[in-house]
Amino acid sequence: MLTFLALAAVAFLGIVPQQSQSIVIYTGWERHALVGSDVRLSCSFFSWRWTSDDVTFSWTYRPDGSRDSISIFHYTGGAAYLDNKGPFRDRVEFVGNPGRRDGSIVLKNLDFNDNGTFTCDAKNPPDIVGRPSSVRLLVFETVPIQAGVITGAIIGVVLGLLVLIVVIYYLMRFLVARRVFNLSVSKHGKKKKEGSQQRQLWTPPPLTCYPLP
Amino acid sequence: MLILAGIVLLHITTIILLLVATLDNAWWMTDKLSTDVWGRWVLQGNDWHYKELNLADYPEEYLQVVQATSVLACIFAILALFVFVAQLFTLGKGQRFTFSGILQMLSCLCIMIAASVYTSEFKFRQEGGFGHSYVLAWISFILTFILAVTYIVLRKKSD
Repeated sequence: MLTFLALAAVAFLGIVPQQSQSIVIYTGWERHALVGSDVRLSCSFFSWRWTSDDVTFSWTYRPDGSRDSISIFHYTGGAAYLDNKGPFRDRVEFVGNPGRRDGSIVLKNLDFNDNGTFTCDAKNPPDIVGRPSSVRLLVFETVPIQAGVITGAIIGVVLGLLVLIVVIYYLMRFLVARRVFNLSVSKHGKKKKEGSQQRQLWTPPPLTCYPLP
Repeated sequence: MLILAGIVLLHITTIILLLVATLDNAWWMTDKLSTDVWGRWVLQGNDWHYKELNLADYPEEYLQVVQATSVLACIFAILALFVFVAQLFTLGKGQRFTFSGILQMLSCLCIMIAASVYTSEFKFRQEGGFGHSYVLAWISFILTFILAVTYIVLRKKSD
């Protein structure tokens, strides 16, 4: 029974990686950049195989509103080939490290016409089945603040102030109470000598002790 | 005893109203639209579709102030309820519920800021009117104010 289970487990483990043995490519989701600046588009992949010498990266660009893609970068056989005819001629630079599965590129001197979707496709032979991943580039004149940042900042600051005020209040109360306690202890020591004369003003009530039967 | 139950019930009602005002996207409504402060419901055909707010329609950042202050109002109201219940057991006789009163007053202030900023910065469109969330925000402003004054004035009975 136990051997059967062990064999089934090994067989299962043997089957599963083969089905999931596809390459997984990671890029960002969106990149925001200012006009005239440079932006780095990162691309890396996960593969069950070792990084082969024939690893390839290729980037394609599809402008906003267009259905055609144009290839702007290709890395193969240990050499990087940059766009020399298209919209990004002389504006692409390869900054990746294929040995470390990094196929990032830098786009320089951005313009509003560069808004669009950039797709990275990486292949790690023999692991070639995978989905290319896309990152959207948005070029702004001024970088806008993201939707939830101000909301979160206001809430955080106000709650933080409230916690701070409560903590300070209780701390002050604690310190004042401790000082009052210390003072009263030292005064109690002095009062014992003087108090014995003053106590005659207040006669203690008579304690009548009834003898025990 | 009855007064106490009444106050707690009123406080819970206020919290519920605040939560509805904050979470339900109905500060401005038309026949086909129910919008603000987190998203927008649009009637297309026979179905309501939820769309994200296009922040370009709200040029200044006032919408985020409305979001933040309405959330803060809810938080302070809930905190005030817990502090009130705790103070019922821990306060000395004859003392006032100041801490819960202060928290409730903060909640009142926040929801007032939210509703006022929304009213003043909102570019009025031609059709439609203010939705139920907006009305509830103002109603909770009144209720939180009454509760805050009540807590500050109320003294714990020496019983």
